[in-house]
Amino acid sequence: MPSNQLQNGQTAMIGIGEYRVGSFPMMTIGLGSCIGLIMFDPTLNLGAMVHIMLPESSGRMDRPGKYADTAVPLLVGELNALGCKNRSIIAKMIGGASMFEYFGTNLNIGERNANKVRMMLKEHHIQLSAEDIGGKVGRSVTFFPVENGKVVVKRADGTSNNI
Amino acid sequence: MKLSTIQSDAIQELGNIGAAHAATTLSQMLGSTIEMSVPAVTVVDLSHLADYMGEESAAMVAFELQGDIAHGGYILFYITRESAIRMTNTMLGLTETNRPLSEMDESALLEVGNIMVSAFLDATAELLGFVMLPSPPSLTIDMAHAAMQSLIAQMQEETNEVLLFSTELTCEEYKVDSDIIMMPERSTLNKIIELLENLMKTD
Repeated sequence: MPSNQLQNGQTAMIGIGEYRVGSFPMMTIGLGSCIGLIMFDPTLNLGAMVHIMLPESSGRMDRPGKYADTAVPLLVGELNALGCKNRSIIAKMIGGASMFEYFGTNLNIGERNANKVRMMLKEHHIQLSAEDIGGKVGRSVTFFPVENGKVVVKRADGTSNNI
Repeated sequence: MKLSTIQSDAIQELGNIGAAHAATTLSQMLGSTIEMSVPAVTVVDLSHLADYMGEESAAMVAFELQGDIAHGGYILFYITRESAIRMTNTMLGLTETNRPLSEMDESALLEVGNIMVSAFLDATAELLGFVMLPSPPSLTIDMAHAAMQSLIAQMQEETNEVLLFSTELTCEEYKVDSDIIMMPERSTLNKIIELLENLMKTD
């Protein structure tokens, strides 16, 4: 289990299927059809981030952060264990793009990922406060739990915005 | 996923042959000499993909591997944005490097990717006696990691690891740096290894 503590000023890099919980900055780069899901409790300045790749785990248990249906309960469980109440947690999600036109059409994994996350959040009574989803664009995300849960989304053309 | 040294060497050799053909076509298109690296065969855990593909802006022409296996994985022509502009400038007779990529550039990139990947797969098919055909190409010019991640997400056989098999092709004269990256499905990889092992036995 990854620790909740990081050295001062360090940013945790979150790879595909990985997640972190804590109050340190967290970053995931190059989201295409993947989803960066962030949960944040403003009352405790505590948050979590996961890099989801596929909508359904179909019973696979080895990497719960990789799938939308297992990643949401995973983050909720971790935050609950640290004293966060579901009604005070807010969620933000980023990604779910379709990078390749020709291949994307029949599968559209990005959209399916986003829909599954929305469904799972609803099931767990977690409020989705912001999203930056879809299109044909890659995104990198940095999350700052102690800066009131600020989330910065950056694109390949160098533009960025906060959500 | 673990490959023996012999399997890894055999795949490398296959890459050499494929990439040599692709390099020849690129050399003809640019009218210049192309250098080719030794192919790298790497098994990458998904959580570490960012160590291989970052946030850099690149043009990627991707193809699904079809033919004797319907969904064999993916193969792509990868070129950084800066190299892509220098390459299309050479082809289109332009000189400005600080410019947005136009539809002309995109057509040129699709065409180069198509020709190179077809040459690569032709050569490997001839050696293996196993047909891998490229699907119609699809181009994206964006973050390399985002594109690669999207291809891995739509692979047929779910896995926590992918085999990336890449060869670098560079053109010193025009400062063009590109890669051909093949990412076979597990079953395709097993088939390729089996065919290579048979070839080594008969030699």
